Amino acid sequence: MIELRNINKRYAGSRKALSCLNLTLETGEMAFLTGPSGAGKSTLLKLIAAIERPTSGQIFINRKGITGIPRRKIPRLRRLMGIVFQDHHLLCDRNVFDNVSLPLQIAGYAKVDIRRRVRAALDKVALLDKERSMPIHLSSGEQQRVGIARAVVNRPAILLADEPTGNLDPDLSAEIMQLFAEFNQVGVTVLVASHDVELISRMRKRIVRLHDGACVGTHDDP
Amino acid sequence: MLKVRRSQPLANPDTVTRMRAYGRDHLRSLLFSLGKLCRQPFATTLTLLMIAVALALPACLYVLLNNLQQITRKWDDAGQITLFLNIDTGENAVTALREQLQNHTEIATVEYISADRALAEFRSRSQIERLLDELQHNPLPPTLVLTPVISAQGVHRLNQLTGELQALAVVDHAQLDMQWLQRLQAITRIVHRAISILGCMLAASVLLVVGNITRLDVESRREEIEVTKLVGATNRFVRRPFLYGGMWYGLLGGIVALFLVLAVLLLIKQPVQSLIGLYNGNAQFILPGIRQSVGLIAASMVLGLLGSWLAVSRYVARIEPT
Repeated sequence: MIELRNINKRYAGSRKALSCLNLTLETGEMAFLTGPSGAGKSTLLKLIAAIERPTSGQIFINRKGITGIPRRKIPRLRRLMGIVFQDHHLLCDRNVFDNVSLPLQIAGYAKVDIRRRVRAALDKVALLDKERSMPIHLSSGEQQRVGIARAVVNRPAILLADEPTGNLDPDLSAEIMQLFAEFNQVGVTVLVASHDVELISRMRKRIVRLHDGACVGTHDDP
Repeated sequence: MLKVRRSQPLANPDTVTRMRAYGRDHLRSLLFSLGKLCRQPFATTLTLLMIAVALALPACLYVLLNNLQQITRKWDDAGQITLFLNIDTGENAVTALREQLQNHTEIATVEYISADRALAEFRSRSQIERLLDELQHNPLPPTLVLTPVISAQGVHRLNQLTGELQALAVVDHAQLDMQWLQRLQAITRIVHRAISILGCMLAASVLLVVGNITRLDVESRREEIEVTKLVGATNRFVRRPFLYGGMWYGLLGGIVALFLVLAVLLLIKQPVQSLIGLYNGNAQFILPGIRQSVGLIAASMVLGLLGSWLAVSRYVARIEPT
């Protein structure tokens, strides 16, 4: 589903962010990216979402090369993915329902489908009763769950998450990770970047360790 | 507490659904951008006034010029051709020529000023009576003053006609009395062009006002644009509300401009009407008609749309999630 070959990424005027990285995620696989901050976790996720482009190397999504993807094709690529951020990136001037429905509105779904899908997504993250609330009135855990609902509302094939539990207490963090695992169970390919080693070890999924932009080990938990 | 049901992947919407959603998004952008203007009444009013003043100024001048042209239009058929005949032309020859000219299809009236009458008129107007008394004979030629028919008016045709008359044997000199009219027309053309140039410059200012406001708007919504692009929005989707915003500015600004124009014209109507009345008795003050009014609003709308396009085509594509 996701394949990175010999990826190098160097930001202008700084050291290499990623060097000679190879990584393959099969369809329906779930993996964690970990490593100290500055190891290149975020960069790797950004390359997959075509937010950044690699300096060299190739990236394949669904066996299609996206390395030199023209800008006008990027929206279509991103509709294959759900992306969750540490600071959830919600639109503060719209309520929960409008935030979650945004990907469906953009993709042009019928109103009745949007309504059904948004309620299903909010149901999954247990926020169905908050659909009329404004994001600012929610706790940070709830805000993060709204972000997740938005990421999964169009049933993407790939779910990317960058430090999704960074701001949350341990109990909430575990709950969020469990949610990702459940999406994985229904066939979504999931890649989560997190430095919370203790938490992700408990998840019993593949863990990819990055250090200074290079892959220093990957181990698969049974 | 969290439950996940095994579910089918979401099918892409079919073409009809997408078209419907597309129309809905246009409608949403249309209303959203209008709502945005209504939520900032003070800023919106200032912007609309800026647009309106920039458009009303050339529009007022244009209407005023149109009105004043009624005066010169009256003068347009004031072109006269004076034929100075040979000094020794006999009465018979003059009568023959008068008859010939009166039958000419392009000549409306022929006035005959005999040499004697010319001298008498000259005597009555000048202070050199005694000098004239000493002359042995009348130095003035018999003269015919012709007024061409309306259809023969126009500088080019009159020049042609004058040339033809000059060629007649008994005509010493044919003179077209048009120079002052040509000067007036030249001045009118300059004023016309000046108003057009002023109009273009002020139209450009409308473009820049709307462009600049749209740019600031895009800048203040940077985060929102990044998020929508992250969830798969195309540039077109992101641009839409801003373009509708520019269109609203243009449309509303154009309507305010029209009211401004009408207010100014009502203030100025009385003096202008009495001025044109002095020259052209049956002329009326012309207010802008439906077509011109709609044209002003439409032009303003196009300017607003273009202005916002200038901004979004540059800035929206540049904003990418980081």
